[in-house]
Amino acid sequence: MDGNVNTALHLKSLIKTFGETVAVRDMDLVVPAGALYGVIGPNGAGKTTCIRMIMSILFPDSGELTVLGRPSALEAKDRIGYLPEERGVYRKMRVEAFLVYIGRLKGLTADEAARRGKALLERVGLPGVERKRCEDLSKGMLQRVQIAAAIIHRPDLLILDEPFSGLDPVSVRLLREVVLDEHRRGATILFSTHVMSHAEEICQHVVMIHRGRKVLDEPMSRLRRRFDPRIVRVEPLDVDDDVPSRLALPAVERITRKAAGYEVLLREGADSAAFMRAAVERLPVARLELSRLTLEDIFVRVVSDGEAEDAALRASLHVDDEGVTA
Amino acid sequence: MKKIALIAVREFVTAVTNRGFIIGLLLVPVLGGLLLIALPRIFNPGRLEVRGEVAIVDTTGVVMNDIRTALAPETITARRDAGAREVLASAPEAARQVRGGNQAIANLMGPLLNLDLFEHAAPADIQEEKRWLSAESSPRRLAVVVIHADAVIPTEDAQLGTYDLYVAPNVDPRVEDVIQDGLRDALVTARVRAQHLERERVEALLRVPRARGIVVASGEERKSLRGFDILLPMTLAGLLLFGTMMGGQALLTSTIEEKSSRVIEVLLSAVSPLEFMAGKILGHLSVSLLVLAVYTGLGVLSLVAFAVIGLLDPWLIVYLLAFFLATFVLFGAVFASAGAAVNDLKEAQALMGPIMLMIMGPWVLAFPIARTPDSTLAVVLSFVPPINAFVMMVRLGSRTPPPTWQALLSLGIACATASAAVWAAAKIFRIGLLMYGKPPNFRTLVRWVRAA
Repeated sequence: MDGNVNTALHLKSLIKTFGETVAVRDMDLVVPAGALYGVIGPNGAGKTTCIRMIMSILFPDSGELTVLGRPSALEAKDRIGYLPEERGVYRKMRVEAFLVYIGRLKGLTADEAARRGKALLERVGLPGVERKRCEDLSKGMLQRVQIAAAIIHRPDLLILDEPFSGLDPVSVRLLREVVLDEHRRGATILFSTHVMSHAEEICQHVVMIHRGRKVLDEPMSRLRRRFDPRIVRVEPLDVDDDVPSRLALPAVERITRKAAGYEVLLREGADSAAFMRAAVERLPVARLELSRLTLEDIFVRVVSDGEAEDAALRASLHVDDEGVTA
Repeated sequence: MKKIALIAVREFVTAVTNRGFIIGLLLVPVLGGLLLIALPRIFNPGRLEVRGEVAIVDTTGVVMNDIRTALAPETITARRDAGAREVLASAPEAARQVRGGNQAIANLMGPLLNLDLFEHAAPADIQEEKRWLSAESSPRRLAVVVIHADAVIPTEDAQLGTYDLYVAPNVDPRVEDVIQDGLRDALVTARVRAQHLERERVEALLRVPRARGIVVASGEERKSLRGFDILLPMTLAGLLLFGTMMGGQALLTSTIEEKSSRVIEVLLSAVSPLEFMAGKILGHLSVSLLVLAVYTGLGVLSLVAFAVIGLLDPWLIVYLLAFFLATFVLFGAVFASAGAAVNDLKEAQALMGPIMLMIMGPWVLAFPIARTPDSTLAVVLSFVPPINAFVMMVRLGSRTPPPTWQALLSLGIACATASAAVWAAAKIFRIGLLMYGKPPNFRTLVRWVRAA
């Protein structure tokens, strides 16, 4: 196994079953130190099980993993920050006491934990709640307290399971900033979400999981290139304009009539900017839009293809035998 | 180890700063003290002074004067005081020194009566006597006594008769007791006189003061105290049971709370399940030890105060501590794993049945074992886990404690059982903590133990 200091996480052929259900199958993953990885997939895909195995809360039926160069997270728990999907606090405990308790469990002294706890509460927008009991806080406030608890010991690896779930837009933005701050500090970040837009906004690298199996593992930059938009949506000013003949350019592969205008599919390798310039010259348009593929689109595409033919999908996604994107 | 200590300290502090715990801890000694002080006052009959009328039908014609003497106020008081002295004589020395103790016990023994005795002519018309007694115009009429003709001089078959007593419905039972004691006293005096004997001599011949037994064991002797040989083993078993139950229940509920509030996963990101369980058991063990120390300390202080501390073998405290540690770890692990396996207290009830049976079972056996600590049943059960610790504590506190090797063997078995319980419970604990939904049945628990 990879005990390389430059590798924060290395999963190899992890399998986990619950009774008859295979929750995670043949999971391979390498997360370099300092990376910001997003694990995406629908509910029940196996993300949380995977994360719990990384955290040594669950143990795989087979396969191997290293976490921060150690064979088990148990040996590196003080260097890992974790925000579980199922969040909880001691309801009767005061916020400060809770943060100090978690901080001390993570290896801090009581004084240091108290100092950092206070600063973090201000960072997450909750100054002055130290003496309040956890049960007196709202759900959103509690989530911020839990985020503070996850990073109080300045972890080298931060694992966030559905961190944005249940948060209002303001809290989402704040949490995104906190995550990016932690990343800038040098922490490796792995977070799971089933809301693709969240991953899209901050991830450097995306791993898609579906039905316990990894179906995609690529940097966002490569993903954007590979799923480079080739569809342009056109809505002419004059609805009676003969759009197919006016836009019959060499770059165009196919033009399809839609409810509101037309959808133009460009040939592979075509310059979309040049096509759009030409289109404006040839046709008065009410709307001309390059259709970007969202992660959700990519996921749906990948998964729906996978349903049809798994092997073909894996080949098209350039996933080699090790399960690492080529 | 540091993390285990942190968890243990949190559990301990949370438990002992809980208002319910503080009240519970203080409640037993406070209630005990209050009862000791208040009960004699509540039930103190010393202030009960009754004036009333009693009709005597003396068919023998020889007892009336003796009855007048026996039911005179000063005789009643003297008899009461004599009874109090007898009770005190069998009590520990310190109790005898308590100021006013004699009077307090005398008060407990009966009321002061000031009776007007009326002799009704014999033979009496019983119906007439009953009407006399129940006449509404004379509420002070307490009783009618009819002395049988053969109550003093035996008939031909040498059988002595007695008397009939009719009492008014509102008569206090203690008043009736005083009248009966007086009648008995008068009849004995008359009978002794009829036999031309001296009552003092007869009483002297009949008087054999009860001795305090001296328990002789190899190399030591100690005085016994009536009832102490049963009370001590029952108390030791009770302390063991109470400490285990109290800590175990707290472990169960706190684990369920942590699981249901979902804080468990946050904690498991910082500590391993085994560390977490160990910390929790250690924390609640400390709480139970505190309670045990308080109650044992109060018990020892009481023995010192009553100057009977010599009845307590100091090794019993050591054994109690050792057996308690082993027993608590065993049942603590079981309670913790049960808490981890279920979602709420209601579900826990199904698992609690067999656990409670294991703990309460020995309590049922405690009394017979305390009476016959050397019986085959007692010896065999001393080595049968998980009840061996309770049984052995009962035997150790009994009048005939078992040989040291038996106590040590039983302790070894208790430690081995505790280790096995921790091993199995840790597996259930680890799996159960993150399992939600349908609670596991016994078969599932076994599968978890084998699979983990």
